Amino acid sequence: MLEGELLDGYAANAPDDEMVDAQGTLRPDYRELAEALGGWSLEEYEQRKARADLALLSAGITFNVYSDEEGTERIFPFSLIPRIVGAEEWKGVDAGLKQRLRALNLFLSDLYGEQRILKEKVVPEEIVLSSPGYRPEMEGFKPPLGVYAHVAGCDLVRAESGEFVVLEDNLRTPSGVSYVLENRTVMLRVVPDLFPRWGVQAVTDYPNQLLATLLSVGPEGSDTPRAVLLTPGIYNSAYFEHSFLSQQMGIPLVEGTDLTVGDDDCVYLRSTTGLEQVDVVYRRIDDDFLDPLVYRADSLLGVPGLMRAYLAGNVTLANAPGAGVADDKVVYRWVPEIIRFYLDEDPILQNVETFSALIPSERDYIKAHARELVLKPANESGGYGVLIGEQATEEELQSTLDQMEAEPRNWIAQPLLHFSTIPTFDEDRLKPRRADLRPFVLSGEETWVIPGGLTRVALREGSYVVNSSQGGGSKDTWVLNEEPD
Amino acid sequence: MLSRVAENLYWLGRYLERTENIARMAHVEHEVSLEGGQEVWHSLVSTTASNELYWEALLESPELTHSEFLLFSPLNPGSLRSTFVRARELARGLREHISREVWEEINALYLFLSRRKQFGAGDVHELCTETQRRTQTILGLYDNTVLRDEGREWFRCGMYLERADMTSRIVDAKYHILLPGDDSVGGAFDRFQWVAVLRSASAREAYRRLGYSEVDGMLVAQLLIFSVEFPRSLAFSVQALARHYQQATAEAPKRRRAGAERRIALLNLDLGASDVEQVVDEGLHEFIDEFQGRLIEVDRAITEDIFRAEPGRVAQVRLVED
Repeated sequence: MLEGELLDGYAANAPDDEMVDAQGTLRPDYRELAEALGGWSLEEYEQRKARADLALLSAGITFNVYSDEEGTERIFPFSLIPRIVGAEEWKGVDAGLKQRLRALNLFLSDLYGEQRILKEKVVPEEIVLSSPGYRPEMEGFKPPLGVYAHVAGCDLVRAESGEFVVLEDNLRTPSGVSYVLENRTVMLRVVPDLFPRWGVQAVTDYPNQLLATLLSVGPEGSDTPRAVLLTPGIYNSAYFEHSFLSQQMGIPLVEGTDLTVGDDDCVYLRSTTGLEQVDVVYRRIDDDFLDPLVYRADSLLGVPGLMRAYLAGNVTLANAPGAGVADDKVVYRWVPEIIRFYLDEDPILQNVETFSALIPSERDYIKAHARELVLKPANESGGYGVLIGEQATEEELQSTLDQMEAEPRNWIAQPLLHFSTIPTFDEDRLKPRRADLRPFVLSGEETWVIPGGLTRVALREGSYVVNSSQGGGSKDTWVLNEEPD
Repeated sequence: MLSRVAENLYWLGRYLERTENIARMAHVEHEVSLEGGQEVWHSLVSTTASNELYWEALLESPELTHSEFLLFSPLNPGSLRSTFVRARELARGLREHISREVWEEINALYLFLSRRKQFGAGDVHELCTETQRRTQTILGLYDNTVLRDEGREWFRCGMYLERADMTSRIVDAKYHILLPGDDSVGGAFDRFQWVAVLRSASAREAYRRLGYSEVDGMLVAQLLIFSVEFPRSLAFSVQALARHYQQATAEAPKRRRAGAERRIALLNLDLGASDVEQVVDEGLHEFIDEFQGRLIEVDRAITEDIFRAEPGRVAQVRLVED
């Protein structure tokens, strides 16, 4: 069944793969795709790929590279072969993500309120209060509907067990959804013949769902709330996404200087005819830069007085300041306990087993088993500072363990996951490459999960690093429709 | 509409119009200088007001030709490429205000201009015609795919203000041929120059259509300055500016809109009350100089009273504007 210029030899070397099982047999969800690709020559692939790249380039779907002076824009490396998830499996992921975000929002509500979970010692107090994401000024303040993480991106990988597990949560300003939408647009144009007979679940509703979410959390008394998207500006690496989303939602894209806070503690937008009040700010700038009067005084990106207006209840910020404490890589270790504590349910999606260096017994375990583990600094993102025990030199390992000893709060360790591979073009044919999946979850009056999400794939053989800043690419993710009876 | 967005749309209109004008003028000058055997790039560099910069740039790279400096050089912030790069940078920040078609066409021209690493005399024709064609496509797409709201009016304001300014520079570059008492007036070389002026302003066909058999300097100046039928003339551009400004500021409080409104209206009246004989008598160059100065005042009034107006205290502002 796996035959053709692109597929020959694929099954022989793909033990953790989503398209074929350990015996090399094609999995049912991939049957239609493999059949269609079987008829493709290398030349056919290359023609399609060139068309896709041209479409992305001419649409200006690029991200900025800060270190690069000449030509600060690159196209996000796009991998043409889609990733497929079956309809039945997706139902479980959808339910698991909804459950997780419900619990995390309750956790945040509690932390900035009564702190029941700390008093009952379910989560160690020192871990939470020492998190850089914890914002004391949020104590005692309740955002509309008790929602803190309006937009979340949860990174999943498929573990050896075959199930999706959560690798980390992103509850501050997760990005990448524009690539999900644009990748789909390109696929529809370039490979219409690969789409399965019953189609795939549509992702295009995301901007409408996001707008509905934002409008549902307006401050009390704002009957027809007005929302804006706050961007750091065109030099931000995710600027394309900010512009794309504001365009899709039909709300103004504003920079810090476009907004002003009045003596009445309300937020206004500077327009050509005067000032117009703003009710909801979907902000894509970090907590630290939001308001120079409260956070970093040298920030030119934020709006002086914005926190004052927020805490007076005159404007809603999405996501709420301080939501980051719940996506702290150390706090992550306790998310299963958090789900049980607030919902009295077992987690539907599992965590990766995680050891915190702050807990003496777990620290000892890490030291004893460092070669089998992946050591991660808690406050870095983009895959920086991560040490893979089995690949590290003796010096690298020792230096990381020393750092851990010096700052135990800052380190966690997890077993090396041989997470799944998916078929990805490399050189002259499809080869198994490791990938993760970032679905986006919206929380407002309702909770909604995008069907699929951003699949990021390591383009090099044997690599586990999928971050775009370190050579990863993205793919369209197809959640199959259920076959009609 | 957001003040910053309005201002950026206005400048997008200006830069796109300027790009197209530079391409058109450079193309004509290129051919005229080849055929006529005269180095005329120099006057074009002066038209885009970058003489001193050119001499500075020459110190840095002595090989730099006039044409490369004018069209391509990053050392010249007023070069065709630098101008368009700024337009594209603005468009990138205005994605939600322009259509996808407009953006993709702007991006395509950007890629066309930035892929090219070398520049030689053989490239002038392609670079200019391609840029002209594509900027016109962008303007056409803008007209046919972008919502006719306030933003579009600001875009048009920028475009027409820039057009008035550029056409006045084209006329000015050749004003000396119109000086009274110059014996060479009317010779073959003169006609050759005036045809070049007409082509620089995309006006050759329009001129012929008006039924003039001879190419005459006074008639050319009449067409480019006073004709309200020719869409690149000073009079036409100022009238269009007045109309679009009025629509752009239809909902703005009087205190904000009045400054530029008065200046545009006066400019319009003065153009209507004059003619080419009077202007040549009193000095064409002085007339153009004054005209350009008044455009700068209009631009300043729009910027200070509308785009960058300080809102003052919130409570007061609401009281005044409600």
